[in-house]
Amino acid sequence: MSLVMVEVHVRIMVTYIVFVLSIIFVISFVGVSSKPSPIYGGLGLIVGGGAGCGVVLSFGGSFLGLIVFLIYLGGMLVVFGYTTAMATEQYPEVWVSNKVVLGAFILGLVVESLIVIYALKSGEVKIVFEFDGLGDWVIYDTGGSGVFSEEVTGIAALYSYGVWLVIVTGWSLFVSVVIIMEITRGN
Amino acid sequence: MNPSIFIILLTTLILGTMMVITSSHWLLAWIGFEMNMMAFIPIMMKNPSPRATEASTKYLLTQATASALLMMAVIINLMYSGQWTITKLFNPTASTLMTVALAIKLGLAPFHFWVPEVTQGIPLTTGLILLTWQKLAPLSILYQISPSINLYLMLTMSLLSILVGGWGGLNQTQLRKIMAYSSIAHMGWMTTILPYNPTLTLLNLLIYITMTFTMFMLFIQNSTTTTLSLSQTWNKTPIITTLTMLTLLSMGGLPPLSGFMPKWMIIQELTKNDILIMPTFMAITALLNLYFYMRLTYSTALTLFPSTNNMKMKWQFSPTKRAPLLPTAIVISTMLLPLTPMLSILL
Repeated sequence: MSLVMVEVHVRIMVTYIVFVLSIIFVISFVGVSSKPSPIYGGLGLIVGGGAGCGVVLSFGGSFLGLIVFLIYLGGMLVVFGYTTAMATEQYPEVWVSNKVVLGAFILGLVVESLIVIYALKSGEVKIVFEFDGLGDWVIYDTGGSGVFSEEVTGIAALYSYGVWLVIVTGWSLFVSVVIIMEITRGN
Repeated sequence: MNPSIFIILLTTLILGTMMVITSSHWLLAWIGFEMNMMAFIPIMMKNPSPRATEASTKYLLTQATASALLMMAVIINLMYSGQWTITKLFNPTASTLMTVALAIKLGLAPFHFWVPEVTQGIPLTTGLILLTWQKLAPLSILYQISPSINLYLMLTMSLLSILVGGWGGLNQTQLRKIMAYSSIAHMGWMTTILPYNPTLTLLNLLIYITMTFTMFMLFIQNSTTTTLSLSQTWNKTPIITTLTMLTLLSMGGLPPLSGFMPKWMIIQELTKNDILIMPTFMAITALLNLYFYMRLTYSTALTLFPSTNNMKMKWQFSPTKRAPLLPTAIVISTMLLPLTPMLSILL
């Protein structure tokens, strides 16, 4: 009986998985922006990256979601973690160590829960644009054609007739590293 | 700064603005804005000092916030129109957000607070780039979305800018802050006429860039950054006193100099739309601008402050600084008024 209940709850939760993941996404960014030490900010980003990957996967973009894990978490965040570890202090600030950080985190959580309750309770949400309750957060269909996967076609397009975007983004990343090193060089 | 790095940064700066101006996809325009901002920051930190670091930080924070607001407006527009083309926006929320974002980027009041402080903390040449080149990209986007801009929002911000630009510059003796407040006021004039006739915005931008370029080149010639050192120019390079006077009067909008052309055209265009109180207000508050230009003119060209006899006999060295394009810029920024009908090339 309890197993059936657990299965029913998991089934229902799977329908709302995007909604749950979106909530975790926002919580992670609240955790980052309440300004603990950068290491714990990186932890918040990891959770957010994982939740974001889950959202992308739920919409059918399996390749791009796993790219998030590989490149964003496994590449950029690792480098960020190493550089932060080089510059860290003896007692880094966690969310619970400083009242200000804790207060900001709780404030963000409270505001987010208010918005979530507003979205769940009322039939529609009309803050900036209107959407009908949970309609956009529960996946009935992935949108799109159903014939081919738009995600893979998009990636293929990026390297064929969207090659200018690859050049621009590649140049931007290179210039970003040059800029960071130039600024921190000081002299 | 290492020359090859400087070339990379300048290339990225130019590439970013070009991408904003020439792109038809909102994502590429946003990327262009970000490239522009990122490349400009180490240029501002060319001579590292706490002042320059503070200026760069303020610039980064304001411009990054504005880019984020721009992206939000683009996404709201995408939600309501289903496409990414840079045309007029299809939703009033998106339009308001984007107008505010571009106003932050330009330094329109009430988002003008960063302009004097950032301009003051950076070297003269970098300040020149900040006040001329960095205005091209936001104005090009404003030009393209001008049919959908909320009239009252735009007019409020621009009239406030003209007032703040004139009023705020009154108590300044630092030349870079004076140029910053002059920039705020001119941006106000440019965005006033944007909902009515965007061509005149481009005309005003062209004349403003020429005049600001001239002023900065005149300052760079003697590395003057304060009114006090500008008042000593009669001793170093006497011709600069006359040229400074002419260019300052042109910036103040006095006929028969070219600075009168955009103001004249803007007031004429506004009266064609049966608006009379607003151009009167604009012309009167532009007098505040003219007052501090006149004060600079007075202390530079019209008055010799009492000084010891020693100071009057300066050994004249041959100048080491070359001012690129200075004669051309001076001619354009003072003698262009008879060519006013040629503004039709901007149509």
